[in-house]
Formats: sequence, structure tokens, C-alpha cells
Amino acid sequence: MQSVLLLVDKISTRVGQLAAWSIVALTLLIGWEVFSRYVLSNPHPWVMDASNMLYGALFMLAGAYTLSKNGHVRGDVLYGFFQPRTQAFFDLMLYLLFFVGGIVALVYAGWDFFTTSLAQNERSSIAADGPPIYPFKAIIPAAGLLLLIQGLVEIVRCVICLRTGDWPSREEDVEEVDVDKLKAMVTSHTSSTDAGAQGAR
Amino acid sequence: MLKLRKELWFGLIIMAAIALPTLILMPWSSMTLGHYGLMMLALVVVAIMLGFPTAFTLMGMGVIFAFIAYFAQKGGDPNVAVKHTLDLMVQRTYGVMTNEVLISIPLFVFMGYLVERANLIEKLFKSLHLALARVPGSLAVATLVTCAIFATATGIVGAVVTLMGLLALPAMMRAGYDMKLSAGAITAGGCLGILIPPSVMLIVYGATAGVSVVKLYAGAFFPGIMLAVLYIVYVMIRAKLNPKLAPPLSAEDRVVALSAVPAAVATAPGQRALPALLTAVRGHRAAAIGRKSLLKELLVALLPAIVFGLLLLAIHRAVTTEPAAVETTGLVEMGSASDAAKTNSGNDAAGSNELKEPTADGVKEPPAASSLSELKEPPADLKEPPTDNGKEATASTAAMKAATDGTKAGSDASRAVSAPAAEGAKTVPAPGWFWWTLGIVVAALVLLYAVLDWQRYEVYKLLLASFFPLAFLILAVLGTIVFGLATPTEAAAVGSIGGFVLAAAYLAIARPAAERTKILRLWLPLWAVVLAAVVWFALLKSEFIVSPVPMWLGWLSMTAFIVWCALATVQVKLQGVLSESVFLTAKTSAMVCWLFVGSSIFSAAFALLGGQEVIEKWVLSLGLTTTQFMLLSQFIIFILGWPLEWTEIIVIFMPIFIPLLAKFNVDPLFFGLLVALNLQTAFLSPPVAMAAFYLKGVAPPHVTLNQIFAGMMPFMVIQVIALLLLYIFPAIGLWLPEVLYK
Repeated sequence: MQSVLLLVDKISTRVGQLAAWSIVALTLLIGWEVFSRYVLSNPHPWVMDASNMLYGALFMLAGAYTLSKNGHVRGDVLYGFFQPRTQAFFDLMLYLLFFVGGIVALVYAGWDFFTTSLAQNERSSIAADGPPIYPFKAIIPAAGLLLLIQGLVEIVRCVICLRTGDWPSREEDVEEVDVDKLKAMVTSHTSSTDAGAQGAR
Repeated sequence: MLKLRKELWFGLIIMAAIALPTLILMPWSSMTLGHYGLMMLALVVVAIMLGFPTAFTLMGMGVIFAFIAYFAQKGGDPNVAVKHTLDLMVQRTYGVMTNEVLISIPLFVFMGYLVERANLIEKLFKSLHLALARVPGSLAVATLVTCAIFATATGIVGAVVTLMGLLALPAMMRAGYDMKLSAGAITAGGCLGILIPPSVMLIVYGATAGVSVVKLYAGAFFPGIMLAVLYIVYVMIRAKLNPKLAPPLSAEDRVVALSAVPAAVATAPGQRALPALLTAVRGHRAAAIGRKSLLKELLVALLPAIVFGLLLLAIHRAVTTEPAAVETTGLVEMGSASDAAKTNSGNDAAGSNELKEPTADGVKEPPAASSLSELKEPPADLKEPPTDNGKEATASTAAMKAATDGTKAGSDASRAVSAPAAEGAKTVPAPGWFWWTLGIVVAALVLLYAVLDWQRYEVYKLLLASFFPLAFLILAVLGTIVFGLATPTEAAAVGSIGGFVLAAAYLAIARPAAERTKILRLWLPLWAVVLAAVVWFALLKSEFIVSPVPMWLGWLSMTAFIVWCALATVQVKLQGVLSESVFLTAKTSAMVCWLFVGSSIFSAAFALLGGQEVIEKWVLSLGLTTTQFMLLSQFIIFILGWPLEWTEIIVIFMPIFIPLLAKFNVDPLFFGLLVALNLQTAFLSPPVAMAAFYLKGVAPPHVTLNQIFAGMMPFMVIQVIALLLLYIFPAIGLWLPEVLYK
């Protein structure tokens, strides 16, 4: 069971991390456009569309990745003080009540949205002669589906936790506040100035 | 165990306090749709407190209640209601995906992670702590300043508090500082980045309330600074009144070790740095060091003079030539002016003749004169030091010294510079305030160099390597946004690139010397190409050149930059930092933007149910005055900040408050500033004060959570005071946007 859960985690993570690199593309694209528009007075009307697409793909496809790493913001006022079993109980109830319904609706509606756009061969209206928009709209059902699968995995995790009283483990990922790494960052200066210590991840 | 109980009780009581009145007050016999809306609001708060991911709570509840609303409105046909609900949902989702305001969030977040990983907080703290050594409570003040700068650039509360907990807390405890004061300074300071722009919170508010992010940034700047200053003043007063809380540093702790060149040049520790360096450069002393490194040192020492000189020249140009452009005949005259300027700088015979006089007494070398005549084209000087550190640098620094060091030479030179411009266009004399500014700057520089002994010079060099790059990055990003030169999205993208450059530069500097020179030798030509295009552009803008930047140069410099990025990534092993920042950016953006997806579906359902009208009717029936309304709304937000986080408060409750503002004639911009300041308290209010938990995570075991909370309380009081100040004197926030966007 655990291996299936981790496999789904891995899929979500890979897709999310792939989409994550679009931030680099977005940064360079806008940086390039700023340079081109201001310095070379040579603006490109399609940049607006392209940056929207990069941004939309970035956060939509990273949704499942974030869920798999338990990264979506939670109200912590009670949750943090619950026993794991209590946490799992409330999570399970609310996954079934809110998540499944909401995301299934999103996938269904998104698919409809995408096929309509595809049938019309819809193009972006932001700039004249805009790029086709339906691949971008396809992201909604795709991201929804990923989230749904990841959500089902989370539901299984809740059930396991209810049974065993402990949360099943997840694979590690970069953390915003990784105390060990931050410690290494601060102390590597005092101990040695060799950058190899910082390069070690 | 007992402690856990207490926390649980607290949460349960809040939950009951929300749920019970709703259940009791509901007119169960005569429910309207609006009442369902209110019920939905109460339910969502309860559901969020149960700890389910907020984005999906909002989305699920929004879908359910949107269905109810459509079902009731469309005559009870479930199929129609489902179709409408699905349409609403996907439209709202797509709306977030194409939101022009939210697109800057991942970019700012990315910039923050890159800057955080540039690993300069330690240098920053150390240099600020040495620079502020004489101030009462110096370590705590340095902590606050470090936090303010670093948190502003990164916007990541957790990382800032953790890092400062590792750096500043041990330092303060070693120095015998009061535990509570130290903890309070770290936690309160770490949260400043949420308020001081460029901050993500203001983008989220702007996107929710439909207020321009640019105006919010302009408006939040001074309140943010004010809050930081209030913190610092508080710490200094406490330290002054009771030195036991924050003992001053001992004399040995304040001593800074001199680096190689100053150590060789210095004859006495109290000796003034600049004159000593100048005599050394003339070659009477310290031949062992070599002229080149001496000149480098001199350039560093003169940097403030150079920067202010260029800045003032730019301002002078702007104020004296502006009216010509406004006139109808201006176009022709502008053209001839730039032609004249071109010939001047082309063969500097004419130009340097006029300028020789003021420079001659300052400098011996002939090239200096021509260099001064080119002062009108400021960036040219900037370009030179990186490309060729040798003779050119001498010429320009010497010229700059002549321009700004001595008082009379400085003002003479700038007056002389204004002269050639006068030939071409009808220029106006610079207004009085310009000469006042010039005088003040020159006086300040003279004062600076008068007190700049070797010790201070070392501290200044430390600051130069840590404080100024970061401050420059923040101010450049913020300045271009606030002055309307670039949209927040553009500024954020360029800021991210700046963050990358910063990270690469710091990692390169951390390398052993031999490797560093090898790396820099590869970097400099690439940078020279990029700078060439930028300098050309600057010359074009200041009308020295009429032909636009050629396309080939543009492409060449962009290619050079991309090559540099790839090269730097490999050379200083940035792959790890980069991929970590990329993944963290994705997770944070997904978190915020999915929350937006959820909340926009939720608020659409709330509007469909007519919950807004019910609330509006109720609030209006209370007959509040504007003041009462403001106090009440801020109080509600303050209370909500205890159990909830700022993201939730903004995306759920702002859509409810914003429509009410028009009824009470409140500016949504002003309201936003108050809310942003108010939500600072949400970070310091237990039990979900994130800052406290981050600090606890790295503090020594004997530091208790209660001590940290107790230390945060005075700072929370200061936040409330700041809120009142902003409310009583709205100009603190509204002055800048009013001046800029009349």
C-alpha cells in the first residue's frame, strides 16, 4: 500500500517540479521583454499571453505537488494540538465532504471548458492574432485530475492513520524552513570559508 | 498534557463562540438565501479551524452553496443549477489563472528565495552590529534593522526568524541581553517583511479588493518604516532606561580587524582613512602593497562621493532641461542640444577648455579633465571600473574626487557642467532647492570623510558588501514600481534576476582567491557587453546619443547575459540553490493561488446567496459613524488574527468589508494600509503566532514558549500604537500615493 501511495506522490511531485521550472522561463521571458521594450523599443504583444500561460501552468500543476507535501495552508489553531487520530478523522470527513465533490466538479467543468474551446479553435483575445488558448485551458482538467488522484491518496493516508494511530511517512522535499540547512548556512562561515560546505545539499 | 488542553479549549471556545450565536440567531422559521450566506460564513470559519487545507474548504463549501443558490433561484431544477455551478467554478478558476495582479506573486516569491539563499544575512547582521555598536541596545537594534532589510527582500517570515534565532539570539544571550527583549526583537522584526513593500500580502489585498498594487506599495512604504522605527526607538529607550536589559558592548568587542591594505597603510587607528590613502597613492609610503590595490581601496573609499556626484548631476540635468522639452519648439532645440553635447564629448577640445579650470587644481593627470567633461554622461564612468580597473579608474576617481570631495571644487564643477548645456537649449537655472541639496550633500560628505577613521572604514566596507547591495535591490524594485517606470510584474522579474546575480556574486566571492580571479576573468567580458547596451540606452535617454540602441547590440548583450547565467550556475554550483528556490516557489505560489481559486468560488457563492446584502443591511441598521465603523472593522480583523492567518483573513473577509467601505466613504487604499498594519499583529498573537514557534525551534532548550510570547507582547502593543497613529494621521500612508498619482 505504502509503495502505491509513494508512487502517486512521486508522480505529483515530478509533474509539479517540472511545472515549477516555468518560473525560470517566466522570469527570463519578462526580463527579456523589459529589456526589449525599454532598451530596444521593440515590444512583443504575445508576451502577455505567454506569461499568463506560464504562471497559470505553474501554480495549477503544482497544486497536487503541494498537496503531496502537505503544503497547503491550514488553520493551525486546533489542528496542531490534536492527536494524529483526531487529525485523520477530521481530515477524512472533510476530504469526503469538500475536497472530492469540489475537485470532481472542477475536473468535469474544466473538461467541458477545454473541449468547447478546442471545438472553436479559440485564440487569445489579449493581443491581435493571439496564440491558441485551448492548450492552456486543458490545464484545468489536467491539474484537477492530478489533485483528485493525490487527494484519494491522502484519503487512504487518513484511513491508515485512523487504523494505526500514526501518519504514514512521506518522502522528503525542500522545506521553506529547514533548520539543519539554515544552521549549516550560518555556521559554515565561521568554521570554514570553503564554499564546498555550502554546495553540499 | 495540561498545556495541550488549554490550547484546545481556547480553540473550541472560539469555535463555539462563532457557531452558537449563528445557530441561535438564525431565524429558522423564515430563512432567506441571505441567511444561508451567513451560515456559510460561520461554517467556513469553523471548518478552517478544524485544520483542513483552507483552499479546498473554501472550494468545496463554495460549490455546495453555489448549487443551493442556483437551485433556489432557477426554479428548483437541479440540472440547471449544476450546470450554472460548474460554469461559475471554471470561470472563477480561469480568472485566477489569467489574473494580471497575481502573476507577480510567484516572481516576488522567487526573488525572495534566491535572495535568502544568497547567504548574506550573517554578513548583514555582523556589519550592522558593528556599525551600530555605540547605540544603546546595539545588538537588538542591529537585529531589528537586519530583520527589516532581509525580511523585506525575502518576505519569508519563517526563514528570517529561524536564521536570526541562530545568529542573533546566541549573540544577544552572550552579551547578557534580556531574554524577552531579544525574543521580541527577533520575532517582531522578522514579520516586518510582510508589511514593508514589495510584499506578497499587499498583492493579495490588491487582487482581492481591486486596489492598485502600485498605490498600495507607495502607501505602505512609510507606515512600514514607521513601524520599524517605533520598534527601534522602543528598544533603545528600554536599553537606555535599564542598561541591565541590554548591556553595551565592551571596547574590545567593538574593535574591527583591519584588512590587508588598510593595515599596511594605517599608522594609527584613529587616523583618517581618506587622506592617508591619498598620500599612500602618491607613492610615499607602503610600496609593498602595490599601486593597483591601493587605487582599488581609494575607489572604494570614494564610492559615496562618486554615487552622490552622479546622482546630483542626473538631478541637475533633469531639473534644468525639463522645461525645454515642454515647449513647442523644444523638439528642435533638444536635437541641437544633444548634437552639441555629442560634439563636445566626441572631440573634447571645446568641452574640456571650459572645464579645465575647476579640475586642474584637484588633479594632475591630463586624462582627468576630459573625463570630467564627460561627467554629463554619468554611466560612462560607471562602466569603466569593472571593465578596466587600471588607469581608467584612476582618471575617473580622481576626476570625481575633484568634483565632490572639496566643497568649492564640487560646486564649481557642477556649475561648469551646466554651462555647456546652456549653449544649446534654453535651459533654466537650477531651482534653489537643488543648490540646497547640493550643499547639504557636500557638507555630509565632508563630515563623512572627516570622521571616517580606519575602524569606521572597515565597518563601511563590511556594510558595502552586505547592506548596500540588498538595500539597492529593494529600492530599485520598489522605486521602479512606485515611480511608474515598470509594472510590479516587470519589477519582480527583474528583481528575481537581481536576486540570482546577488546569489552568484556572493557564492563567487566565497571562493578561494585564485579560483575567484579565474571566475571573474570570464564574467567581466560578458558583463561588459550587457553594460554596453545599458550604457548606450542611458546615453540615449539623457540625449547624448540620438541613434537608438542597435538591435545587434541588444541581441548580443542578451545572449551574453544568458551565457553568463548558465556559466555562473555551473561555476559556483548554483544548481542546488536554483532548483530549491524553484521548487519552493512552486509550492508557495500553488498555496497562495489555489487559496485564491477556492476563495473566488466561495465569495461568488456568498454573493449569489445575497449574504452581502444581509450584512450590509445589518451594519447600516446599526447607524455607525465612520469612526465607529473603522474601529469596529479593525477590531474584528485584530480578533480574527488570533485564530486565523493573514491569507485567510484577506481572501475570506475582505470581500465582505470592501463593499461596505463605499457606504462609509472610506478609501479602500487607506483601509488596505490599516489592514496590512493590523495583520502584523496576527503574526505575534498566540496561539498561532508562527514567528514564536520558529524561534522556539532553534532557541536553546531553557527558553520557553511563554517567554517568547511575553517578549512579543510589547511589540504587539507597538503595532496597535502604529495602527492608531496611521488612523489619526492618514497622511503617513496617503501622502506618497497622493504626491505620485495625482
